Amino acid sequence: MNYTFQFNVVWRNFDALLEGAWLTLQLGVFAFTMGALVGLLGAAIKTYGPWPLRWLVNLYVVFITNTPALIQIYFLYFGLPEFGIRWSNEACVLIGLTLNAGAYLTMILRAGFLSVRRTEMEAGETLGMSPVQKIRYIVVPHIAKSIYPALANFFIVILVMGTSVGAVIGVDELTGQAINLSTVNYRWLEYFTVIAVMYVVLTFIASLGLALVGRWAFRVKARIF
Amino acid sequence: MPHLAVNDVYAKYGALEVLHGIAFEVDRGEVVSLVGPSGSGKSTVLRTLVGLTPVSRGSVEVDGTSIDYRSGRALKAARDRMAIVFQQYNLFQNMNVLRNVTLAPTKVKGRNRREVEEEAMELLALVGMSDKAGAYPDELSGGQQQRVAIARALALKPDILLLDEVTSALDPELVNEVLDAIRRLAREGMTMLLVSHEMAFVREVSSKVVFMDKGRVVETGAPARIFDAPESDRARDFFGKVLRG
Ligand SMILES: Nc1ncnc2c1ncn2[C@@H]1O[C@H](COP(=O)(O)OP(=O)(O)OP(=O)(O)O)[C@@H](O)[C@H]1O
Ligand SMILES: [Mg+2]
Repeated sequence: MNYTFQFNVVWRNFDALLEGAWLTLQLGVFAFTMGALVGLLGAAIKTYGPWPLRWLVNLYVVFITNTPALIQIYFLYFGLPEFGIRWSNEACVLIGLTLNAGAYLTMILRAGFLSVRRTEMEAGETLGMSPVQKIRYIVVPHIAKSIYPALANFFIVILVMGTSVGAVIGVDELTGQAINLSTVNYRWLEYFTVIAVMYVVLTFIASLGLALVGRWAFRVKARIF
Repeated sequence: MPHLAVNDVYAKYGALEVLHGIAFEVDRGEVVSLVGPSGSGKSTVLRTLVGLTPVSRGSVEVDGTSIDYRSGRALKAARDRMAIVFQQYNLFQNMNVLRNVTLAPTKVKGRNRREVEEEAMELLALVGMSDKAGAYPDELSGGQQQRVAIARALALKPDILLLDEVTSALDPELVNEVLDAIRRLAREGMTMLLVSHEMAFVREVSSKVVFMDKGRVVETGAPARIFDAPESDRARDFFGKVLRG
């Protein structure tokens, strides 16, 4: 191989890559947080809801988890305008990733709902807690603690794999920025080498943050790697 | 008028009827014990009182007012009056001791947090757990958890405390610390309905013993009478076995 790496162009445009990384992090955090709320609702319905609602949630989960995220976002961006619904490309990515994460998180969180000790729920019940209070004070802390590693892993999946889908509809997150820049001067290999490293750094920062949050808020002794 | 009256109560799990007409009364400040063989329905009685298992027939009266368990508001009111502690320690695992005790008064009752915390510390002192206020349940022994559960139940200021075999999951050396806490409550005039296999303890603290078998009340009376001169064959048989050990 007699390819000569020339990183100078990359460094000259490093600001743009940093901006992309920042957007990636924002998209990841937002989609995960909103997805977690959707997943919490989905898991609560699957566990305690009446059958028509349970059935709807099942439909949602099956539909989302069996189609590619790329297609879902294409549908929002190119499909919905046919029905007169027009969202910006960033909105499409946010909504698409939220719906996507929500379905996976419904399944992940459902395991947490099922593993809550019945006696704790009965204690909450006899102490007069409402259903929402039981979920808030008993189920959620239990889930956060017992399946924290699974949640943290899933956050990384969204952060790295989920957000980069935005590139295909022109959202300038990290992958999108790299594509934009390298089409100008054809330094594909350099750009993609650098953003690969940036993704690793981003993942490391996110894992560290999650481990600290877990330790502080939920007494989870999470390993960082 | 009795403080708590259980009138001909029936209850079932699904299609299986396990209580076939239970009746007894508890006066204010009295300690009443439910005893009987395993599976006789003692836990189910306590569960029906707090609305965890539905009453299918009969009624429960507190101070002469019958509780309508189908109405959410009446159920809430009943749970204000009666608090239950289960055999299996069921503390909230994700909260420390103090928060376990203060959660319901602050979040359910909306009371002032500082005031509730002060009361909680007094209750923890009562059960001998004030030095563990910051500990989590998984850092406590079974006996310690059970004493916290008692404090948590008391934090809602119930009129009647229901205790379901609170010592049966404990190592023998831990039993006494829990029994001491209950003795102290009895001395303070707390009305209690307890299920226990500790016959010596039952005899010591109860003013009345209700002997149950197969979902029915077989005999009711003062502890000395029930233990020493049971009228029914079933009770004679049972106490003959458990008292001889
Ligand atoms: N959740 C349940 N579903 C079905 N049947 C149950 C359930 N809980 C208890 N039972 C049945 O109800 C009957 C009464 O049970 P209960 O737990 O009230 O007895 P108990 O007197 O408390 O016994 P023990 O001394 O062993 O605690 C038993 O036959 C038991 O098998
Ligand atoms: Mg029992």
